[in-house]
Amino acid sequence: MRRASAKASKVNIRDYEPIVGRSYIEELRMLADKLSGKTMQNINSTFVGGGVAEILSHLVPLLNQLGIDTRWRIITGETQFFEVTKKFHNALHGKIEHISDNDFALFLETTEKNLSDLDFPGDILFIHDPQPAALISKKKDIGGKWIWRCHIDISHPDSKVWQFLKQYIVNYDAVVFSSPNFVQELPIRQFFAPPSIDPLSDKNKELLPESIDAILAKYGLTRDKPMILQVSRFDRLKDPLGVIQAFELVKKNFACQLVLAGGTASDDPESQEVLEEVRERARGNPDIHILSMPPESDIDIDALQTAATIIMQKSLREGFALTITEALWKAKPVVASAVGGIPLQIRNKFTGLLCHSVEGAAYALRQLLSNPDYGHWLGHNGREHVRQHFLITREIKDYLLMVLALERNEDIIYL
Amino acid sequence: MIEWLRVNWLSIAVPVLVFFGVFFISLWLRRIVYSALERWLKERRAEIGKIAISITKNPFLHWLLILGLYIALQVSVLAPQWKSLGGKILASIFIAYFGWILIRLSREFIYLYLNKAKAPDRAIIATTSITQVTIIVVGVLILLELWGAPMAPILIAVVAAIVVAILVLRDVFPGMLFSFQLTQGRQIKSGDFIRLESGEEGYVEEITWRNTQIKTLDGNTIIIPNTKLVKTTIINYGKPVKITTEPFRFSTRLHLKELTGLKASNLSQLVSRLKEVPDAVIYYHTHSFLEEYQFLTPEPANDFALWVKEALGYEILAERLASIDTFEFPTIGALRQRIIGVIQDFLAGVTNEREAPQDNEFHFIKSIDVVLPTPYVAHDLQEFIDILRKISINSLYFHIFEAKLRLQRGTNDFSIWLEDCLGEKELAEQVARLDPYNYTLENLRETVIQLCKEKL
Repeated sequence: MRRASAKASKVNIRDYEPIVGRSYIEELRMLADKLSGKTMQNINSTFVGGGVAEILSHLVPLLNQLGIDTRWRIITGETQFFEVTKKFHNALHGKIEHISDNDFALFLETTEKNLSDLDFPGDILFIHDPQPAALISKKKDIGGKWIWRCHIDISHPDSKVWQFLKQYIVNYDAVVFSSPNFVQELPIRQFFAPPSIDPLSDKNKELLPESIDAILAKYGLTRDKPMILQVSRFDRLKDPLGVIQAFELVKKNFACQLVLAGGTASDDPESQEVLEEVRERARGNPDIHILSMPPESDIDIDALQTAATIIMQKSLREGFALTITEALWKAKPVVASAVGGIPLQIRNKFTGLLCHSVEGAAYALRQLLSNPDYGHWLGHNGREHVRQHFLITREIKDYLLMVLALERNEDIIYL
Repeated sequence: MIEWLRVNWLSIAVPVLVFFGVFFISLWLRRIVYSALERWLKERRAEIGKIAISITKNPFLHWLLILGLYIALQVSVLAPQWKSLGGKILASIFIAYFGWILIRLSREFIYLYLNKAKAPDRAIIATTSITQVTIIVVGVLILLELWGAPMAPILIAVVAAIVVAILVLRDVFPGMLFSFQLTQGRQIKSGDFIRLESGEEGYVEEITWRNTQIKTLDGNTIIIPNTKLVKTTIINYGKPVKITTEPFRFSTRLHLKELTGLKASNLSQLVSRLKEVPDAVIYYHTHSFLEEYQFLTPEPANDFALWVKEALGYEILAERLASIDTFEFPTIGALRQRIIGVIQDFLAGVTNEREAPQDNEFHFIKSIDVVLPTPYVAHDLQEFIDILRKISINSLYFHIFEAKLRLQRGTNDFSIWLEDCLGEKELAEQVARLDPYNYTLENLRETVIQLCKEKL
């Protein structure tokens, strides 16, 4: 098990005051004061790549600034372990996967190894996603409140994998889901807390037009045609091929370009294979740009999202889709599938457009390309919606409230 | 003699005519100037102006006579040495007369202002004496200069005397000056309720020539040197504000969403669940939309109305549910019964119930509230307004929405306090009558502030 490097955050919690208001930050401080002296441990499977690592890299320093000793560690494992957890991930999303007894055995073996290696004291332990879920075995030794933070869509999980994980999950004090649709029959408390973005991160800060143009030029892109963009890992569940199909339908009537930008994560061995499939499918179409970006491309992604005319997220399954949150924060019109936690962000025709098929996506794209003012209105609403509900300050608040709620089993808690 | 007059009549007539000409023109100018001054002072009720007019009006006439004589002398045919001598005599009379009037004026002004500043008698006498001596010394110096006396030793003695006077009175003058500035600038006056930058607040009791006394709300007296007072920021609330019997302590409320695990995929299930879920669930689903979209045009819809429309396609039932006026209900129990009643009435006419599509079931969520005290406390209406401007919308929400329905206090916290602790019954009723479900939270904040400001 490795711990996060002690890289100091350049951002101060006060920097959020102009964005969410001074009183909001005051309230966070009041809340954190009630938990001062406690240690909060976060454990997941990667420091880079994917939404969980991104959230933690911002959340941990801010919680520390609020006076809560917050730490972040990751479990380690061989490639085979991550292949198994990727299968778990897909199966929990409802995809049919062949998972053998050996796979379960490998999962438990790696967990045991991490358990013997690790030393992670904490009064509150947030365990993120299925990979480290079985660490709960340590609870009887170190005590504390254990919370399983599930970032993925488990509304229709594969029964075999879910039953396997459930025997560990029930030992937690609570679970946290990103959408009410993911709720399960469990004998423990279940909270609903959508994830969030950091408005001050490289991926979300405002860029100068010259910087944006320079970045576009780096990838051989221009602004001469409206740009449709999907930013996501090269993963079948993000349906990159469906995005290309929708684009081809729209392209018949509108001059536009499509950019599929994404990367790979160390805990997702399948992504390289998907990237090759997408490249093959896009071959021969000069208006489709496939950009494979390394994990440290935050500013480049920011530039692409800012330059985009419309942002898509045509996922087949989705935990929450922080890329949508980023797009809304940049006041962009979004076309997204009505799956997982996406409807929490996109209220159809109000903060964006929802679709259920390739044709539906193409129809929504045509609407926005023909009516730019409508797109601006949706984008403006979307930005305010994100300000109120999906910024990191709200997630910090939820984490603190959860801990307080576990200490007192009441509907109204007076502090 | 007659012959001499016949020959020189012009030499006499010209100075006489010049004297009377100058005198009458000056008299006419004096009349116009003083009339205008009197009108101006009447409008402003400036005491100092009245004193100045009463003291200078007659002497001004005498000064004009001297001026007429001086000009007549200068146009006469007298020898230059006689003209020079006559001029010096007239100038000396004028300087002495002017100095005497100046002494009278300064004495009246000093009495007027130092009495207002509540300066002690000895300070008034000392100031008057110093001013009189200064005027006399300056007058004598001018006269000596006029008659050609040596000035250097006299000037050195005068400067030395002034330096000594400044050193002796260095602590007294700034305070007097500032008390003058405070009272004459009408910035603050006795009876005003003021708050200083440093946080001290209270009613101004007295402004003396050295300090200002403030009576705080808890009965203590703060004495602030005027020199300090003029350098700090003061909020002057003007007329006395009504003090509360019990201050309003602002709280805030942060909430967490807990999934109950209960769900419904048709109307029968919805009704069945609605009967069994805790109040915290009903509260959540009748207020979540308002909180989620509080930044936009308010839409007092509840989650049940939205779900039956979007997931089940029952437009009429959705409209009936959306039109339930949450503001009418004193308790969540009563609100729950109305919602159940509306759905059951509709269900009576339904033969084949519709099922929600997969992933569109209604999930019952519970609102867990954490209530925290804030550092904000209001002791009067002005302070209440000031705090209302800076509290979070969570705090506003807690005292208006949660207090009435979830905590079942009958009305919002603000109205209870305004009536019970501040005696502002009418204002309390106005705030209580506001239907908060028809405002965005920011508009609601502004409306309450406006009502309070009107009362002030």
